[in-house]
Amino acid sequence: MMTFDLTLTGSDLLLLAPEIFLTIWMCVVLIVDFSVKNIDHENLAYLSIGGILTTLVNVIWFDYIGVHGSLFKDMYVLDGVAIFFKIIILIATLLVLLISIDYVKKFKYFKGEYYFLVMMSALGMMFMASAQDLLSVFVTLEFSTFGFYVLVAYLREDARSSEAGLKFFILGVFAAGLLAYGISLVYGETGTLVFSEMTSTPGSYGLAIGFILIFAALGFKIGAVPFHSWIPDTYQGAPTPVTAFLSIAPKGAALAILIRMFFVALASFKPMWVLLFVVASIASMTYGNIVAIAQTNIKRLLAYSGIAQIGNVMIGMAAGTKRGSDAILFYLLTYLFANLGAFAVVIGVSNFIKSDEIEDYNGLNRRSPFLAAAMLLFLLSLAGVPPLAGFIGKLYIFVAAMEQELYTLLIVGLINIVISMYYYLIVVKKMYINEPTDPTSITVSAPLKTAVYIGIAGTLLLGIYPKPFIDWAVSATLMFSNLVAPTAAAPVLSPLVGG
Amino acid sequence: MGSFALLTVLFAPFVGAIALIFVPTRQALLVRMVAAASAGIALLASLYVFMTYDPNVGGFQMMTHWWWSEELGIAFYVGVDGIGAPLVFASGILLFAGIFISWHIKDRIKEFYIFLLILAAATIGVFMSLDLFFLYFFYEMSVLPMYLLLGMWGSHTKGYLSMTDEAGLKMRDSVKFFLNFGSNSKEYAAMKLVLFLSAGAVMALMGILLIYHFSPVHTFDILVLREQAKFDGMLGNIIWLLIFFGFASIAPIWPLHSWSPVGHAAAPAATSMLHAGVLMKLGHFSIIRVAFEIMPEITRELMPIAAVLCVFSIVYGGFVSYYAKDTKYVIGYSSSSHMGYIFLGMAALDYISLTGAIIYMFAHAMATGMLFAMVGWIYEQTHTRDIPSLGGLAKKMPFLAGAFVIGCMASIGMPGTVNFIAEVMIIVGSWEKYPFQVIVAALGIVLTLAYLFKMMRGLFYGKLSPEFEHVSDTRNWVDRLPLLIMISTSIFFGIFPMHFYNVVRSTVEPMLDRINQVAPVIVQSTTGILP
Repeated sequence: MMTFDLTLTGSDLLLLAPEIFLTIWMCVVLIVDFSVKNIDHENLAYLSIGGILTTLVNVIWFDYIGVHGSLFKDMYVLDGVAIFFKIIILIATLLVLLISIDYVKKFKYFKGEYYFLVMMSALGMMFMASAQDLLSVFVTLEFSTFGFYVLVAYLREDARSSEAGLKFFILGVFAAGLLAYGISLVYGETGTLVFSEMTSTPGSYGLAIGFILIFAALGFKIGAVPFHSWIPDTYQGAPTPVTAFLSIAPKGAALAILIRMFFVALASFKPMWVLLFVVASIASMTYGNIVAIAQTNIKRLLAYSGIAQIGNVMIGMAAGTKRGSDAILFYLLTYLFANLGAFAVVIGVSNFIKSDEIEDYNGLNRRSPFLAAAMLLFLLSLAGVPPLAGFIGKLYIFVAAMEQELYTLLIVGLINIVISMYYYLIVVKKMYINEPTDPTSITVSAPLKTAVYIGIAGTLLLGIYPKPFIDWAVSATLMFSNLVAPTAAAPVLSPLVGG
Repeated sequence: MGSFALLTVLFAPFVGAIALIFVPTRQALLVRMVAAASAGIALLASLYVFMTYDPNVGGFQMMTHWWWSEELGIAFYVGVDGIGAPLVFASGILLFAGIFISWHIKDRIKEFYIFLLILAAATIGVFMSLDLFFLYFFYEMSVLPMYLLLGMWGSHTKGYLSMTDEAGLKMRDSVKFFLNFGSNSKEYAAMKLVLFLSAGAVMALMGILLIYHFSPVHTFDILVLREQAKFDGMLGNIIWLLIFFGFASIAPIWPLHSWSPVGHAAAPAATSMLHAGVLMKLGHFSIIRVAFEIMPEITRELMPIAAVLCVFSIVYGGFVSYYAKDTKYVIGYSSSSHMGYIFLGMAALDYISLTGAIIYMFAHAMATGMLFAMVGWIYEQTHTRDIPSLGGLAKKMPFLAGAFVIGCMASIGMPGTVNFIAEVMIIVGSWEKYPFQVIVAALGIVLTLAYLFKMMRGLFYGKLSPEFEHVSDTRNWVDRLPLLIMISTSIFFGIFPMHFYNVVRSTVEPMLDRINQVAPVIVQSTTGILP
């Protein structure tokens, strides 16, 4: 029987400090928006950015001094993985707020609420990263998605945006139904909702179906084939900063849950679920990359490229080892900077030329050398070209897969690198080789420039000097080293080198 | 000092590229000076590396070792052996020459030099990597700048430019164009190059990952791997084939060569020089560094594959060159034919032929570098690469005509140039094992003579077309310096080859002893380098 004991001590509340602070700050932003007459919305953005920054510093400080623990009967847990994902989510939110500023100026209504909703989604995703229990998975998932339903349909005069919102909503609710049904099945079979208590349960069909349903619901979040159908239309229709946000933060948060669920609760059934991830990974990579070739809209191209990238991430899930989880964490970090950077450039261009068609990127190098060079770096990082971050991320994932001898997955993954090179280079060709139809130079606002610079810095730093970040990812997932026994021997360096 | 010089060769172009980002585009002269300065520093440092490499000590020298990720067993580990040192030197020369060859580029000169410096630095990085990860890292890094250099500053072929009717224009802009293997726009050439080389690279990466996984020590360190890793049977053969064909695609060996002449033709002169001069050698070099060093037994068993394929390379490349009408296609196919000689020298697994093959890499870099530079100048002056429409240029370009004769002589392998030494060594060394191939190679030299003289006659002699009355010779030192450097290097080492020979031999000998199972691996002292 489960009983809930809600007496909280001061030290318990400390674990929740970042979330509590963010909740208060969100309300402050909303109150300021309503109570201060004629407030410039740019200032509201900076107020929100300040709040996110403070939260980020808080979380990093927690990581530094090693604050760990769990609350509410293990429903909420703060450990290395949670902190890592919270940092990813907060950095994503920060960059999204930066790239939103110019975009929000175009809105007719509800400029202040936009920032509130972005922060609310971020808060929901921070809780997701800490969910250690099926009930909290459901609640936090819905909480974070709620903000997105509104955000996707924010351009209410634009039919595409409404369509995107509706599509996202209907499929999202459907996924929520699947999730709830899966949870009920799992609870019926195991009698518990907490991941760590499920480890010793015997396998049964009910449990298997339950987890496949939960996987489907989370697969919807991360946009894995065959649960991807909402992605291209929603990405294209949603306001671009929201697309950027959707393309990384919810994926990260859902992956946190996936990692916990499969690496902890289902560790003993690994031989069975590896196949699930192998199939989903191959399908996502191949489908995403091949369909991306035919795209003419940059947002759709990035949507399909995102599907393919998630396929790469799932190679790490299929490896199912500590090395695999390290690789996933590191890969998400590289994906964060490259992908958000690319969206920042897309916003910079579309603010000026009012178009997202790849055709309109012709001669971008002549119109804005800065944006073109940044886009080049981000796309090549997504393609996995050294010395950029994406290359290290891909290599790390491949090493993890090689240790588990997943040859099919490796071969498909490597072939997909070549396929993806083609469509990324087509965009590069438009930017660098083609001549512009309209040679006026493009100007970029300061906050957008800041976001692009952060993206460039992250992409280069993670590619050239990834050691501290790899070490960070390794230490964040220490909890998995006991739960999943690595089959391959740990790297033993030769006495010559080690001595 | 040695290791510092080696790092300077690698990082000077990178630093130059980064410095160029901050130079205002309007100051074109400053841009050129910064690029030339960084290339000059790299050239001097590479000369120092090559001259101070001690052949009496042998092995890897001037090493630097920094941990990059201990978690994955990756270190930034560089150093040169007798194979890497001359190739680093060749890259230094061609980069420096390439900067001056491109002196007159007007369009986006800053970006051009940035990409050129990154390309050269990445190839130099491959030649000094002692870590499989960084070998791949630099290898893949050298491919991408090629795309932009070809696409942005390259030139279309005559066939493409003549597609001016309505159907042709439509064809040129369609997606299908990229799949149409007949018409060569520069975009097509660039994309083909990148996709071919990336496909080869991921094959090699699969091999590298298999080596990493199945070696007893999970490391990318080549020195540790060659001592401790042992591969045999099916797995060993698969790894070897992945490594060989993965890297041979850039070399390029016969069935995988089709990207190369197209790429040469589309590229601007400096890029063609680096491409033919050093980029293609990355393939041979990486095969030697990975397959020969780590898997000597399998190399002995499977290297005859190269001996078979090299015949096709030599003959096919030679004949296409003879019939080609585009100056750059002639030299491009001739390069791809000459790469067959290197494969022949490698396949024989003989001291003399392998030493010859490595000297040939250097010699070919100089000879082809010269030819591409001169053809590039002619294109810049006349805006055509079509041999039949050119002629009589010797009257207008006396200096260039003279230099072209020397370039052809070097390419054929006239005594007095370093190519002669290399060719003779390959032919003498391979005779015992592959007499048939040697006969083909010797006939290939005759073929080289034929097509180069044919092109020379077509370009420089005969009647000067009135539309080329305005063309001019290389006038000042900026234009002549790169040619003079390459010519003098070629002739200097043709007359004084002993240091060169000793350097190469010091590495080739122990390597072949291992491959022919005469001696075990010489454990190299790494005190002071490894932590």
